[in-house]
Amino acid sequence: MLAAVDSCTLAGLDVRRVEVQADIARGQVKFLLVGLAATSVKEARERVRSAIKNSGLEFPQSRLTVNLAPAELRKEGSRLDLPIAVAIALARTGKRPPPHTAFLGELALDGAVCHVDGVLVAALGLRNLGFERIFVPAANAAEAALVDGLAVMPCASLKALVDHLLGVQTIEPHVRGGTGLGAGPEVNEHDLAEVHGQEEGRRALEIAAAGGHHLLLSGPPGAGKTMLARCLPGILPPLELAEALEVAQVRSLLGELRDHSPLGWARPFRSPHHGVSSAGLIGGGTGLAQPGEISRSHHGVLFLDELAEFQAPVLQALRQPLETGRVTITRSGGSVSYPARFTLVAATNPCPCGWAGDPVRSCRCSPGAIDSYQRRLSGPLLDRIDLKVAVRRIKLETLASEPTGEGSAPVRERVVAARARQVARQGCLNALLRPARLRQLAALEPASRRTLERWAEQRGLTARGFHRAWRVARTSADLDGADQIGERHILEALGYRLQDVAA
Amino acid sequence: MSQRSPHPREGEGLGWGAPELRTRGRWPPPAGPRVAIVGSRRPTPYGEAVAEQLGADLARAGVVVISGLALGIDAAAHRGALVGGGATVAVMGTGVDVVYPAAHSRLAEEILAAGGALVSQFPDGTTPRRHNFPARNWTMAALADLVVVVEAAEGSGALITAEAALDLHKEVLAVPGSVFSPLSVGTHGLIRDGAGLVQNARDVMAALGATQEVLDDPLAPPAGLGLGALPRRDGILAHLSDVLPLSVAEIARKLQLPVAEVLGRLTALELDGAVRRHHDGYIRALRSGQKRA
Repeated sequence: MLAAVDSCTLAGLDVRRVEVQADIARGQVKFLLVGLAATSVKEARERVRSAIKNSGLEFPQSRLTVNLAPAELRKEGSRLDLPIAVAIALARTGKRPPPHTAFLGELALDGAVCHVDGVLVAALGLRNLGFERIFVPAANAAEAALVDGLAVMPCASLKALVDHLLGVQTIEPHVRGGTGLGAGPEVNEHDLAEVHGQEEGRRALEIAAAGGHHLLLSGPPGAGKTMLARCLPGILPPLELAEALEVAQVRSLLGELRDHSPLGWARPFRSPHHGVSSAGLIGGGTGLAQPGEISRSHHGVLFLDELAEFQAPVLQALRQPLETGRVTITRSGGSVSYPARFTLVAATNPCPCGWAGDPVRSCRCSPGAIDSYQRRLSGPLLDRIDLKVAVRRIKLETLASEPTGEGSAPVRERVVAARARQVARQGCLNALLRPARLRQLAALEPASRRTLERWAEQRGLTARGFHRAWRVARTSADLDGADQIGERHILEALGYRLQDVAA
Repeated sequence: MSQRSPHPREGEGLGWGAPELRTRGRWPPPAGPRVAIVGSRRPTPYGEAVAEQLGADLARAGVVVISGLALGIDAAAHRGALVGGGATVAVMGTGVDVVYPAAHSRLAEEILAAGGALVSQFPDGTTPRRHNFPARNWTMAALADLVVVVEAAEGSGALITAEAALDLHKEVLAVPGSVFSPLSVGTHGLIRDGAGLVQNARDVMAALGATQEVLDDPLAPPAGLGLGALPRRDGILAHLSDVLPLSVAEIARKLQLPVAEVLGRLTALELDGAVRRHHDGYIRALRSGQKRA
């Protein structure tokens, strides 16, 4: 007797349909699993056998063949446990599964259905493939229910599922709590109101938030670079629904979605340690690559503290994602692509000891050491950072007093307004404007153009540097609500550079 | 490539006996007093300007300017001497065929082309070694009649040169700086201990005994730092120091203006050459009213 049920396998965010066919034939008692199953899937045999037996169902005492089609597609992970068990159960009874229905889940030996990673991604993909109903582990029901137009059936155990399919006892579909997909904006931990001084850093942060520009903060240890960086998510608008879903997909693949309120509205903030490997930063692993830090900070902020301490090849690997907002990683199991559109905030000391340029403490580094330290930073990565700001240590007596700066809320309002102007004008943020579109969309007043050209001539500005200043000036004008880029916007933009690094 | 010559000034030998000097270029240098100008490798713009102008004025007065070819004050002094059309001698801590830092190879060529010399007590091919530089500082003091320290933080190598000069019974002069600047701690210490105060090249000439007259003219800033036109009047300039860099935030706080505007105005002033950026802050550019060469 033959039965077939549908499931899927994931390659990054790509979902491919897998048909699990089970055939019970007369012959020697044997359980064959074919169809290019990786080790984690081959092990399903043992789990499925025990789970069926311990659910009070009968395991066929004859020749059992399970085929995972298409056979040339490599299958990984434990989410095929459930469809395999269902196919065997149905093959024994001769019943057909309901149409347009898929199954996902891992089995415990006692027949319980356990949490698996990537259910949100799978649910989205299956819906797009035309499926209408999906049976998932109860622990994954909330995340699967984020997908519209798909009935989500939570399964607690194999027994309950088989009873449902045989019409003995029904499982009720999971109903999403309300229409709002979770709570409103989350309260941010770090507020600009807690930052002492740092007016220049604050302004740069506001521009970075408004235009999506990458930012480099340079200053001595303890100047407050990290504090500033952590305030960035709080002045960004909350995620939109589509963005939140993309963020949730990456987290789903990593098994990080919580049971209740799987969808978060706060922008991700990731700060990997400088010892991170390039697989950890951009994604990697054996077989198929897992998402790295840059994909976890999709639509959010990636903070790299001590930028000069990162290994050069790791930083080099950031170039493609910075350029395209996606990263494609090829491993033995194939090539996968993850989203990685983040705002980079990097922090660095000005020299190895950190005190170069400090008005009080003197720096102990040799000029050669400073030179090689800064050379490590320069080059292609720095070229893609629009804003560079020196952060100064503030006086200790100031720290004891109440900070007087603005809080995050009014800054966020200005940022939201400036972003809305950009989206209305060009459909994307200023940081993503390429030179051709910049010329077309970001007109310079004659005086601004002259100033920019004069600067370029005097300082030997590169083409990249020229466009960087132009883009930042556009954002400064947007924060001002100005249609044209005035001279003051250009002049301000030219100020966001560091002395010792080419502008 | 280098010639050998015995140590030039007998009786002014070094503590460990006069080493042989390797030289490149014209050696011995033209007759005339020899003044060593030494100081920090990472000076403030003020110190750099002082060294350059002193070098130029002394060279014009016929003094042979001696320094160490290092970054900062040393290079400024050599450059100043070249501007003043004089011969200048670089006392190196490496072999005379190894220019250190490499970025100064052009400066070394210019020194040779202008009739100056590169000298070293170390064999050809000696690469930079930390422990060689104090010995070089002694040689510098031995070769000079007088040592001027421009900017030196506490424990600076320039203070070793000053100490060596005192041990060799030569006069040490020092240039005062801002009391806020860590780079003036060493020089102010020297003055406190009795070193002569240098305000201009005439002070140095007086100490050499070349002239009795001491005038209190301020030192004229070097031409290379200024531009012709006066800067347009801008409130920011009044708040800027020419020694200590002020950050944009500090200036904005003083003027009660938004940082965005202050940053823009500073950039405009920078474009006009009225201010310079120094590390994380801005300073007023020194100007002499002469066109940039």
